[in-house]
Amino acid sequence: MGDFFTIELLKATLRMTAPLLFAALGGLLSERSGIMNIALEGLMLIGAFFAVAGTSWTGNPWLGLLIGVLAAAAGAAIHAVWCITFRADQIVAGMAINLVAAGITAFLVQRIWHKAGGSDSVQKLPNITSGMSILVPLAFLLVPVVWYFLFRTRPGLRILAGGEHPQAAESVGINVSRYRYLCVILSGVMAGLGGAYLSIGDLSYFTLDMTSGRGFIALAAMILGGWTPLGAMLATLLFGASQAVQLQAQAIGNFPISPDLLVAFPYLLTLVALAGFVRHVTPPAGLGKHATSG
Amino acid sequence: MTNAPRGLTTTLSRRSIVAGVALAPVLARAGITLAADKVIITVVTDTAGLGDQNFNDLADRGGKRAAKELGVTYNVIESQTQADYVRNLTQASEDSQLVIGVGFLLTDAINEVAAEYADVHYLLIDSVADESLKNVTSVTFKENQSSFLTGIIAGLFTKTNKVGFVGGQRIPPVIRYEVGFKAGVACVNPKAEVKIGYADTFDDPGTGKELTLSQYNQGADIVQAAAGRTGIGAFDAAKEKKSGYWVVAADVDQSQLGAEYQLCVAQKGVDTAVFRVAQQQVDGTFEGGVQDLGLKEGGVDLTNVTSAVPADIVQTAADYKAAIIAGKVGVPVDDDSFKAFKPVPPDEVKGMATPAASTPAS
Repeated sequence: MGDFFTIELLKATLRMTAPLLFAALGGLLSERSGIMNIALEGLMLIGAFFAVAGTSWTGNPWLGLLIGVLAAAAGAAIHAVWCITFRADQIVAGMAINLVAAGITAFLVQRIWHKAGGSDSVQKLPNITSGMSILVPLAFLLVPVVWYFLFRTRPGLRILAGGEHPQAAESVGINVSRYRYLCVILSGVMAGLGGAYLSIGDLSYFTLDMTSGRGFIALAAMILGGWTPLGAMLATLLFGASQAVQLQAQAIGNFPISPDLLVAFPYLLTLVALAGFVRHVTPPAGLGKHATSG
Repeated sequence: MTNAPRGLTTTLSRRSIVAGVALAPVLARAGITLAADKVIITVVTDTAGLGDQNFNDLADRGGKRAAKELGVTYNVIESQTQADYVRNLTQASEDSQLVIGVGFLLTDAINEVAAEYADVHYLLIDSVADESLKNVTSVTFKENQSSFLTGIIAGLFTKTNKVGFVGGQRIPPVIRYEVGFKAGVACVNPKAEVKIGYADTFDDPGTGKELTLSQYNQGADIVQAAAGRTGIGAFDAAKEKKSGYWVVAADVDQSQLGAEYQLCVAQKGVDTAVFRVAQQQVDGTFEGGVQDLGLKEGGVDLTNVTSAVPADIVQTAADYKAAIIAGKVGVPVDDDSFKAFKPVPPDEVKGMATPAASTPAS
């Protein structure tokens, strides 16, 4: 097994973790403010698509990244309007974003590239080292940034207050809705980064549904991580590592465990973890509750 | 069951409409062509839809070619969900003379609709319809035969004696690709190791890239991908490893993703099958039944072998191809037949297809 745990396995783990971590941090910001965000999957897809479209329009992957992130933020803003201003059911609104994102990206691929299924190849963002996009370290750098923002700054603590008990926060003059808008839009920025990582960080094109459930895995990882940035990082690393090990084990061949079990491994891990640990993990008390005044 | 009487009455009420539509092939058969009455051909995709880099795209290509070369009117209906199949096929049957259902998943729907529209012709790709239906042609492909030849190329061309195979999900056509590839490698390079990996999805190029990378990192220098959009990621993996790493494409030439990394293609002639049946429709020679297309029928083939592959390797693959066509070498189709498969070394295959050169070994 000496050649199993290689530097390449570590790199693969970090590559598979990065998109999950971006999205999990986004979900964390939104849910800590009190807004459930199951739209992460769709927002990632929007980010992935517009990062490629933006790169194709401007010829510059950095501008493409900006356009992808802004598009995902705009999608998140729609979620915010529905959930905060119109007080819609947050699950239904999130599902709607996911469905619209899948449909609109498929439609736009046809309109822009005149073919179904995926985009043409575009220039990708630079790597910091071989096989490692510059966005990978950014994902990990955002962990302390988000932690500091939420737990050590005045707006961060107000966000937490609004997420725990919106009525109490309102009573001391905190504009809960405004902070919730900020957080939901920031979650779109994060999910957009995660999507753009897939399309122009790791790969160099967009294909339909290329996020392939990563938004939902990120959501599970965020819950597993107990709604904290460090926890989210550890949980997404667990998912990234199990995926990387699973792929590596298949490549090794005569691995003692069946590939089917290996494919199921990350999901079994989630079930076991949820059954074992989540009882000690409590969501923000005000999650899903509307503030008293719009 | 309960639908049977209702189905009968709808057939009768539609008879008059269908009769008019059905006239065109009858006239064509009689040698009369009416310029105004173009043959209408409609492709109904499965839920993967156009852009799958697989049989839906290939069927579309065949339909477009028929429109261009045979002057037929060509339509596509994309299915969004499995519930659309019967509805889309019915809609297509209302105005088309030839309706093409793409994929295993449309089998039941074709059986249902074809029974109702007896005067419309159907082509089912990648599956076999109810054989009592005389108006349906079912076409399946021997992917294992073309994949056997890419296995020959990969087995002889590998510098590391390790090659890989990346699949989407382990469904019959992908299994045929896998066992064919393994059997081909085993014939020419018994010491070579074949690494097998499944992404468990056909639309995640990110995972396809990682799966391919892990096989490359474990020493493989050639990886065959039969994984739809997941397989696109194999080219990204080869790009990342720079030179010396290769991808074998399945179904269709993917050189647009990186011609310098594509070793060869195990091609699947869905487009040719669609075109051929369209031609039969126009000529009035359409016949129901089952066609299982292999190397012999030109349904599958080894194509686009890169110039980096030496001529003697290409020749060896050609020898095997001739031997398979002559029925001298049988290629396994599933796990059981692969277990029973006895590798045939290259020197036994040479001249096998030409019976004149009889040897003492016979």
